[in-house]
Amino acid sequence: MTRSARTRLTTLSLYAIFVVIVVAFVLVADWPAIKSNFFLTEGFTGNWQDMVFVGVKNTILYTIVAFVGGFVLALVLVLMKLAPIAPFRWLATAYIEFFRGLPALVVILFMALGVPIAFGWRPPGGTVGAGLLALMLVAGAYMAETLRAGIEAVPKGQNEAARSLGMNAPWTMASIVMPQALRIVIPPLTNELVILLKDTSLLFVVGLAANQKELTTLARDFMASGPSAGTATSLMFAALLYLAITLPLTQLVAWMERKQKRSR
Amino acid sequence: MKIQPLFAATAAACLVLSLSACGSEEDTSGGDGAGDNADAGADDSGDDGGSTDDGDSAEVDTAALNLVSEGTLTVCSDVPYPPFEDFDESAESGFSGFDIDIVSYVADGLGVELAVKDSAFDGLQSGLSLNAGECDLVASAMTITEDRAKNLAFSDGYYDSLQSLLVPSDSDIAAIADLEGKRVAVQQGTTGEAYAKENATGAELVAFPSNAEIYQALLAGQVDAALQDLPVNVDNAKKGDFTIVEEYDTDETYGLAIKKDNDALVEAVNAQLTELRDSGEYDTLYDQYFSEDAASDDAESTSR
Repeated sequence: MTRSARTRLTTLSLYAIFVVIVVAFVLVADWPAIKSNFFLTEGFTGNWQDMVFVGVKNTILYTIVAFVGGFVLALVLVLMKLAPIAPFRWLATAYIEFFRGLPALVVILFMALGVPIAFGWRPPGGTVGAGLLALMLVAGAYMAETLRAGIEAVPKGQNEAARSLGMNAPWTMASIVMPQALRIVIPPLTNELVILLKDTSLLFVVGLAANQKELTTLARDFMASGPSAGTATSLMFAALLYLAITLPLTQLVAWMERKQKRSR
Repeated sequence: MKIQPLFAATAAACLVLSLSACGSEEDTSGGDGAGDNADAGADDSGDDGGSTDDGDSAEVDTAALNLVSEGTLTVCSDVPYPPFEDFDESAESGFSGFDIDIVSYVADGLGVELAVKDSAFDGLQSGLSLNAGECDLVASAMTITEDRAKNLAFSDGYYDSLQSLLVPSDSDIAAIADLEGKRVAVQQGTTGEAYAKENATGAELVAFPSNAEIYQALLAGQVDAALQDLPVNVDNAKKGDFTIVEEYDTDETYGLAIKKDNDALVEAVNAQLTELRDSGEYDTLYDQYFSEDAASDDAESTSR
């Protein structure tokens, strides 16, 4: 057998194995069980309106609020971290290490149920407000690190050139360094946005009124009542809805990155 | 660099082999299940008549019950939910509570061991834990509802639950009608939430995943009241400065959940429950956990 024939045979057998895996998967799976546990048709038809118009709406709303809040916080933190005054840097570092080291769920629980007991102060907006505040605090810590990486990735020469043109430090940061840094960190920031979107599901622990429920909470509700009760159909539906939001988002970023590469 | 084709082929072949190995196993168990379903369906009519003669529990053929682990009744429960289930280091199974005592009686009657698994309620009420073969029985203070009963099998009811309204002792809420505009905690996806939706109109219902968060939220002042199963609220009232101001009879009953179509197990469990009631032992258990006089002792044994 020639070398090329052997290569072709190997390639062919790899394809064959791929087909066998797919076929085996299809044959082995217990489709009736899958259908009755995860895809109860009545469940979809019965629940979709609440899931979409309350669940998806709130999930997106919470994500945006937490992301914007977290981003503003991150800007402040990163400026503190790059500040020439040492105590500012210490404060920012301590903050980032603290909130990056805690599970979001724990921060949410503390903010909604712990802080009022400990300090007698209830965050505005009830339990949802408290939960969103917690998500902001956590997201801010992560995004501050991302921003710092972006700023440090901007060549030093940019800074020096701007300063030698007579720009002062804040103006250089705002008009020369930041715009370039933001461009660099768009992919990791999107990553953070997607993570945050999924983290809104943690808000279920703080107590949500009917019109405040996000996707996961509603899905859990529908496991107990309604046409799909006693199955995980609603969870499956929620999963599909999450993907319907996140996949276009990640595709958008991939497209932006490609466009950016071309423009260079 | 490209992966060595031969290496990739070997890896893929291994994957296929392991998959098909899994597959054959899956297939046999699936076949078993189907056969049992057919059997169970056939003697279903006979079962109802037979459930009156329940004394001879020793003759229960455990092989027909399709237990996930031979000789053991595996019970899933979402712990803690005192007084129904709680952690208890002194107990043999590691758990104690009304539900645990009930299933331990059932296991004894069937002549099998009892194993209790602490599981999340989501998996229990969705039937996933049962269908995935995690457990034979769910004993987790789960109310029998029409919705759930479509996709899960339930035993006969073993506990009639009342709903109740818990408020801070200094609150001016005295009845469900006073809840207008107030924030009321309910447990998500429970019958208490459904009852509150129907009857506490005008109140803002705040749904929490479990009683633990409800209690914290009451302490934190995030809610003004909690509408929850009576025994659980009794426990809440004991732990803190709270009072139960109203009780509601909602005709709801807790049942043990069993995999849909495992009629043989449903029947066997029902026979045990009947025996439990007939023997008078049920009343003893009930008094131990729910009677007024026992309440103070009980508080110590159930709260951690």
